[in-house]
Amino acid sequence: MSTSPNQFQQLTTFYVGAELFGIEVTKVQEVTGSTFVTPVPLSPMFVCGLVNLRGQIATAISLAELFMQKPSEQNEQMSVVCRHEGSLISLVVDNIGEVVEVNLEGFEKTPETIPTNIRRFISGIYKMNGVLLSVLDTESIFKELSPVGDGATVKSNL
Amino acid sequence: MSFSAQEIEEFKVEATELLDVAEKSLLELDKDGDFKDCFDSVFRGFHNLKGAAGMMEFTALQAHTHELESIWMSFKDKQSIPKNYVTFFCRGIDASRLLLAGEMVTFDYHIEDAEAATSEVYKPIELLKEKSSLADELPESAIDEFLVECDEILDIVSSKLQLMEKGVFDKSVLDDLYRNVHSLKGSAYLFSFNNLGDIAHAMESSLEKVRNGTHSPSSQLLNFLFKSLEVVEAMLKRMKARESDEAFIPVIQVIVKALHKASEFLIETEAKTSVQIDEPSSSLPPEARVNEDAILTMPAPQVHGSKEKEPEGLGSIRVPVSLLDSLMTLMGEMVLVRNQVLQYSNKTDDLEFLSMSKRLNVVTSEIQGEMMKTRMQPIGNVLEKFNRVVRDLSHDLKKNIHLVIHGSDTELDKSLLEAIKDPLTHIVRNSCDHGIETPEIRRQSGKPEAGSVTIKSYHEGGQVVIEVSDDGKGLHKEQLLKKGLEKGLITSAQAELLSDKEIFDLIFAPGFSTAAQVTNVSGRGVGMDVVRTNIEKIGGSVELSGRAGFGTTIKIKIPLTLAIVPALIVKCGTGTFAIPQVKLEELVRVDQHSSSKIEILHGAPVYRLRGNILPLVDLNKLLGISGSSYTNYVDASINIAVLNAENITFGILVDEIQDTADIVVKPLNKLLRSLQVYSGATILGDGSISLIFDVTGISKVAQLSQVRSRVKEEESNKMSEIQEFLVFKLGSATNHALALNYVQRLEEFKFSDVETSGDQRVIRYRDKILPLISANVQLGYPDSEKASDTFPVVVIEKSGHFYGVVVDEILDTMSTTLEVKDPIKNHRGIFGNINMPDRLVVVVDPFELISMALNEQAELVAKPRDIEIGSRADHKVVRILLVEDTVFFRKAIKSVLDKRGYEVILAQDGIEAIEILNKKEFKIDLIVSDIEMPRMNGFQMAAAIRKNPTYTNIPMLAISSKADKQYRQEGMKAGFDIYLEKLKPEVLLAAVAELQRNNKVAA
Repeated sequence: MSTSPNQFQQLTTFYVGAELFGIEVTKVQEVTGSTFVTPVPLSPMFVCGLVNLRGQIATAISLAELFMQKPSEQNEQMSVVCRHEGSLISLVVDNIGEVVEVNLEGFEKTPETIPTNIRRFISGIYKMNGVLLSVLDTESIFKELSPVGDGATVKSNL
Repeated sequence: MSFSAQEIEEFKVEATELLDVAEKSLLELDKDGDFKDCFDSVFRGFHNLKGAAGMMEFTALQAHTHELESIWMSFKDKQSIPKNYVTFFCRGIDASRLLLAGEMVTFDYHIEDAEAATSEVYKPIELLKEKSSLADELPESAIDEFLVECDEILDIVSSKLQLMEKGVFDKSVLDDLYRNVHSLKGSAYLFSFNNLGDIAHAMESSLEKVRNGTHSPSSQLLNFLFKSLEVVEAMLKRMKARESDEAFIPVIQVIVKALHKASEFLIETEAKTSVQIDEPSSSLPPEARVNEDAILTMPAPQVHGSKEKEPEGLGSIRVPVSLLDSLMTLMGEMVLVRNQVLQYSNKTDDLEFLSMSKRLNVVTSEIQGEMMKTRMQPIGNVLEKFNRVVRDLSHDLKKNIHLVIHGSDTELDKSLLEAIKDPLTHIVRNSCDHGIETPEIRRQSGKPEAGSVTIKSYHEGGQVVIEVSDDGKGLHKEQLLKKGLEKGLITSAQAELLSDKEIFDLIFAPGFSTAAQVTNVSGRGVGMDVVRTNIEKIGGSVELSGRAGFGTTIKIKIPLTLAIVPALIVKCGTGTFAIPQVKLEELVRVDQHSSSKIEILHGAPVYRLRGNILPLVDLNKLLGISGSSYTNYVDASINIAVLNAENITFGILVDEIQDTADIVVKPLNKLLRSLQVYSGATILGDGSISLIFDVTGISKVAQLSQVRSRVKEEESNKMSEIQEFLVFKLGSATNHALALNYVQRLEEFKFSDVETSGDQRVIRYRDKILPLISANVQLGYPDSEKASDTFPVVVIEKSGHFYGVVVDEILDTMSTTLEVKDPIKNHRGIFGNINMPDRLVVVVDPFELISMALNEQAELVAKPRDIEIGSRADHKVVRILLVEDTVFFRKAIKSVLDKRGYEVILAQDGIEAIEILNKKEFKIDLIVSDIEMPRMNGFQMAAAIRKNPTYTNIPMLAISSKADKQYRQEGMKAGFDIYLEKLKPEVLLAAVAELQRNNKVAA
C-alpha cells in the first residue's frame, strides 16, 4: 500500500460492541439488516450460519465471536457483506456507522498490546477525531474460512 | 502478423480436434478399418493442420505436419500402412500436440524404411486425379467440412489479393497467399474436385515466380486471380448444392491458360517492386490481352437453387464454456424462483395466477432440459482416446489387446467428462496391464490369444453407467487377501471374515497394488484408491466384480450433471437438510407396530434390515443438535434413511422426511467443507437454505468404518451360522420352536373338518390324509382351550409322508446365531434350548414327535456295546467328515458326534467335501452326509467319492429328512453304507459305531 501524503481512503464503519471498525468501501458489496440465518451444525462458534442473499448463499460470521468477545444482547444486528473470489461472507456487527474518508497519513500499525485474537484480523488503526478506528483485514478473515490442509485440498493434489 | 489470444485459443482447439480425428482414423486403419476412408481422414488431418498452423504462424508445427503429410502420402497407393509406421505416425501426432502446446520437439522422420520418407507431397496428389468418383463416396459431412474450409481459404486469398492490389508485397502476404492457394489445391484434389484443383493449381503456379521474389505481379495477373476466385466461389456454391461443376470446365480452361500466360510475361523485379502494378496491359503480348477481356467479361455459369441451402453452414457456433456456465447458474436461479412461485401458487385461489405458474413450471423445466443439453457431450470424446492408449499399451506390454467401445454416444456433462477421464484411463491401463494375460498364458488357458477390453456406457436411472470389463485373468481372492495381509490393510482374523465383495474392495484401499512387479504402466500402489476418490468426488460410485480366470468388470456410476441434483429433504432439529438421491437406498419407518425394532449394540443403535445389521447414525447427536434427539430408540416412531457411501451401507435417524426436490447445488466455503459433513447448500422453494449432506463424509465423521468392522464380524458369523426357527405356543409358559427347514407349510384347519381313522385324528389335505399330531399331547402339556373354531397346523414331511403337527398358536419366525443348548433334562422330542436375551425357547424335534405319536421304534437302538466301541476309539481319534448344508443340523450332528469323542470336520456341500478329501490334509475315517444340498447333492457326492480308488471302502452314512424307500434305494446305489432319517442321536451314533466296526473288520 502506498503511503504518499494526502491520499484518501473511504471506509465503511461499523461497531462491534463499543469499538469502531472499518472496511475499505470497495470491498463491501452491501449492508443489510438482520436476515434469517440457517445454522450450520458442527461449525465453529464464529460461524452464525448461512444467509440467502437474493439467491446467493453467504456465510454469516459473527465478528464478536471471531474476536472472542461476549456477543451483544442486541436483537437487531446488521451485516456487512463482502465478496471474495466468488464467495460471499456476511459480517454480523452490532451497528453500522457512516462511510468516512480517512487520510492515509493517519494510518498506524496496530499496537502490540491489542489481544492477538483481535489484532490478527486488523491491518491498522486510524486516528479519528475523538475515536480510534480499527481497519478490518478482510483477507485474514477469508483465510480463516479457508483452512489449509483440509481433506478436500489434499485429495485434489493427488 | 499477430493474433489475439482468442484466435490462438480457437486455433488450438481446432488443431486438437484435427489431431484427434487423425489419430482416431489412424488407429481404425490399424484395426483393418476401410483403407480409403481412414487414409483420407488422416491426410485431411495433417493437411488441414499444416495449413492452419501456417496461417497462425506456428512454423514448427507447420513444418512438422508437412513432413508427416508427405510421408503419409507415400502410402497412398500401397493400400496399407505397416505397423511400425502406425506407431511412427502416432508419435508424430504426439509431437504435434507438444508443438501445439508450445514445446520444442526434435522429431526423427527417418524411420527404418527410408524410401518412404522421400516422396514429395505433390506426386500422390497427381495420382489422385485419376480417381474421379471419389467425391461420390465421401461422406456428406466430410464434403461440408471441406467446403467450409474452402470458404475460409477464399476469404483469406481474396483479402491478400486486395492487399497486393494496394501495393503491399510483403513476403508474409505473398507466403500466405501462396500457402492458401496450395491448401485449396491439395484439398480439392483429395476430394476429387479436380476442376477446382486444376484452377487452384494454375493459381498456385502463376504465383510461384512472384513468391520467389524474382518477379513482380502484374495488374493483369491480379485481375486473373480475382476472376479465378470468382469462378471458384461460383463452383463452391454449386458444390454446396451437390451439383456438378461440369459447366465450369470451359471457363476453367480459359482461366488456366490465361494465368499461365500472365505468369510467363511477368516482369522481373530489379529489387524494387512498387511501379509494376501500373504496368499497362498493352505491353502484354496480344494473346494475353485478348484473353483478358474475354475472361473478365465472361459470365459465370448460373447457379441454380443453391440459395436455400446456404444457411446450412450455420448449424453450429462456438460458445465459450464460461458463458454456458453462467447461463447454467442463472438457470439454477430460475429453477429456484420457479419453485418459490409454485409454492406460493399453492396458497392462492387466483386461477389466472395458477395457470401462469403452471406454464412457468413447464417452460422452466423445458429450458432446464435444453440448457443441460448444451453442456452435454458424447462420452465417445473421451472413450475414443482409449483406442490409442490400448494400442500403445498392447505394444509396450507385448500383449494382443482389442478395445471394444459400446455406447460412445451416451451424453454426459462436460465437466464430468473431464473428471472421469483420468480415472477411466487408470482403469483401462490396469485392465491391460494386470487383467489381460500374455498371449502364451492365454493360449495355455484356452482363451483366444487376443484379449479384449470392453467399455460400455449407458444411461440407467438418471445416472450414467460406464462399465470397463476385460476377459483377462480376473481377480484371485487369495492373492488379494495375501496382498492385503502383507500391506497390513487387514488382519488375518479379518481376512477370514471378509465377504467376496469386501475382498474385491481391498483393491480400492490406499497403497494396494496387485501387480507382482511395478511396471511403468501401473503398479505403483497409488491407483484404484485415487480412482475411487475422484469418482466419489463427483458424486459417483465404483464397483468391482469378477471371477478368477474370467476377467474383471469395473462399473462406474456417475450423475448426469453436478449442477442440479435430485435430493430428499429431511428435517433434523430445526434445520432442513438435503440428501442426494444417488446415495439414498431406501427409507424405513420404525414404530411400535414394526416387527423389527432398533436395538442397542454396545451403546450404538443398530437395526436389523432384512436380516442384516444396519449401523445407525443419530443425526441429531452427530450434528450436536440438542432437544429433539431420540431419547428412546425402542418406543419412538423413527425415520431411517438408508444410505450408501463407499460401499458402506448405514442408516441415519432423521426427525422428519419432507419431500424430494431438484436442488441447485451451491458450493460452501472451505471452512464449512472441511467439516466433511456437507457437500454444499441449496435454496429451497420457500427461500430457506438447506445444507446438503456429504454422505461419505458423514460415514467418516461417524467413524462408520469402525462400526462396520465390528458389525462385519457379527454379520459374517450370521451369514454362515444364522438359523431360522418357527416359534409357536404350546400349553406351556415357554415358547417352543422348530427349525424352519422342517416346515413344509403352515395351515389353518377347521375343527369341524377333523376326522378320525382308528384312534388317529386326520384331516383331508390335498387329496391325502394328513395325520394330526398334537405337540401338547406328545410333550405332556395340557391341551389348551380353544376359543376359535380353527387351529394352526405345521405340515411336516417325513419319509415321504405328510404329518400335521398341531400347535396352539403360531407366533413368529426368528433368526438367531445362538446355539441350541442341550436340554436341562433329557426329554424325547426335544432338541434343546436357545437362550434368547429376553427369554428361553425350547426347540422341538418334529420327527421325534411324529415317531412318538406313531409309536415307532427307533430303527436301530443304540446298545451299550456300540457306545463303548465309540468311546474306546478315543485313544485313536476317529475323524468324521460331516457334510451338511443346514447350519442347525450341522451343529446338532456335530455336537452329538463331538460328545462321543469323534473329531468332526465340516463341509457345507458335496463339492467342499470332495475338496477336503482331495486335499488329503486329514485322513478321513468316515463320512456322514446330508442328501439335499446345493451345488452337489449327497447322491452325486457319494458316487463321485466311490469312483476314487482311495475311497472305495470309506464308510459313508447318509442322514436325511427325505428317507422314503425310493431315496434310500438311490442312496444305497450311490454308495452309502447306511441311510438314516434325521435326526436321532442314538441311532446316528449306533450307525457310526457299526460302520466303524465293519470297516475295521474289513481292514
